[in-house]
Amino acid sequence: MLAARASSTRNVQRLARSFATVVDTTGVKVAAVDYNQPTSSVTILVKAGSRFEPKKGVANALKNFAFKSTTKRSTIGTVRESDLYGGVLTSSLGREHLALTAEFLRADAPFFVDVLSSFITSARFTRHEFEEYVTPLVEADTEAVSHDSATQAIEAAHALAFRSGLGSSLFSPAHSGLTVEDVKAFAATAFSKGNIAVLGTGIDQGTLSGLVEKAFANAAASNEATTPTSKYFGGETRLEASSGPQTVFFGFGTAGAPVPEVAALAAYLSPTPSVKWSKGLSPLAAVPEGTSVQTIYLPYSDASLFGLLVQGSTAAGVKEASKVAVAALKAAAKGIKAEELKSAVAKAKFAAASAADTREGLVNVLGSKILSGSPATLDATLSSLDSVKATGFSKTATSLISAKPTYVVVGDSHALPYADELGL
Amino acid sequence: MFGPLGLSLAPYVQSSRTLSKWITPVANWYVNAAGYRKYGFKYDDILVEENPTVQRALTRLTPREKYDRAYRLKRASQASVLHAPLPKELWITEAEDVRYLRPHVEEVAKEEEERKKWDNLIVQRK
Repeated sequence: MLAARASSTRNVQRLARSFATVVDTTGVKVAAVDYNQPTSSVTILVKAGSRFEPKKGVANALKNFAFKSTTKRSTIGTVRESDLYGGVLTSSLGREHLALTAEFLRADAPFFVDVLSSFITSARFTRHEFEEYVTPLVEADTEAVSHDSATQAIEAAHALAFRSGLGSSLFSPAHSGLTVEDVKAFAATAFSKGNIAVLGTGIDQGTLSGLVEKAFANAAASNEATTPTSKYFGGETRLEASSGPQTVFFGFGTAGAPVPEVAALAAYLSPTPSVKWSKGLSPLAAVPEGTSVQTIYLPYSDASLFGLLVQGSTAAGVKEASKVAVAALKAAAKGIKAEELKSAVAKAKFAAASAADTREGLVNVLGSKILSGSPATLDATLSSLDSVKATGFSKTATSLISAKPTYVVVGDSHALPYADELGL
Repeated sequence: MFGPLGLSLAPYVQSSRTLSKWITPVANWYVNAAGYRKYGFKYDDILVEENPTVQRALTRLTPREKYDRAYRLKRASQASVLHAPLPKELWITEAEDVRYLRPHVEEVAKEEEERKKWDNLIVQRK
């Protein structure tokens, strides 16, 4: 018992010092976490996700333009110099943010912060680089997603659920007609101080603030990017795909800040077993052989999308599995037992906490908090999950599934079920 | 000095006011005497293009510039077939004879130079 108490107090301490406070350095928000790792990483988060894009595919093109030539150094200079320092540069795009990340050895922070910030402050956006390097990457992204039914289904679900804003795709359309001028104009509006946050791991807050202050000393300061608040619509679409697994996605969205009850519902339904080689106790564990179900829970700053993704090799199997999934979701909305709720909450809390363990996860979890200037900790998320009650759970779940469903099938669209056949 | 653009003393001449005052009329006479403008060429159309640097620079022209260049080349070969310069109203004037390709060639050359620098870099431990 003593040992248990000791370990729980240690946990509290660790949580308390886990995340740094957000400091505003010359208009740029900076947060740093240091666990004494041997390597550091710095991520520049820009409010330039696909929901802010003025033209389809611009955000994806901007993501692929990262680390090309700037007035400070050329493309090859960036690549070769980072090679010499042994760092890794990545850029990734979400619906809300564009994240530019550098991972490097601790001593090399000044160089890598400079590489990241010079793209923000002085990228050249040359036409030949757009045509020679960026367009092939944009097309490759589009090509890759056209072979991935799950991603395709979730993209289509976003478009149905939120239409504009969050509905715009992370990928460029196949024949987008984008020009470098579009990318340049988007970057000019997005790359201003109010839209930028810097998140460091394995780096001291003071060091990072100093570097950021120097780097963004003469960055443009303009208004924060805003979009109309998201609304949920829903609808049905059927996409024909000749290859890949048969896929059904059905989900429900909510406008407004994500609520912990939905996270608990996702954890309750999630069929991922906690022990290897077991089927788990989830109500979705009963789906037929050869099919799989995943819970998808995507919280955004002002909306969230929750749904179940059913995949399998045959349309008949997927239809059967989808029926099981719909029945499980409806049963969950009627109310679940207290101990089931307890384990679901524990599972959700673990998922939320362990997501912050990896670098990408940390950026996803804390990114929006840092940008909005609220304290960059997990405490609020975890304590809100603690306060989930059985009545609130069933009330939220009932109102969630009473909305118009978002229903997407990808695959053999003649054989895959329609929404009304599943009782949605 | 012997880049894809060829040997040029122009920067030196332009840096000296006296020299450029003396040489500019001669240069203008020489350009007209060379006769490429009479065949509807701009100077960058007759730049030696049989090397990778200029080939890469050519891909960086805008579609409009590429089209116009191809048109001038075809028009000039037709004039060559006819063994006569173009009619005078089609001659390229001094104002039209802009170096549209030179900035791209210079940039490609600079990139190649930089690549060479990085390829032959000697790294020293500090």
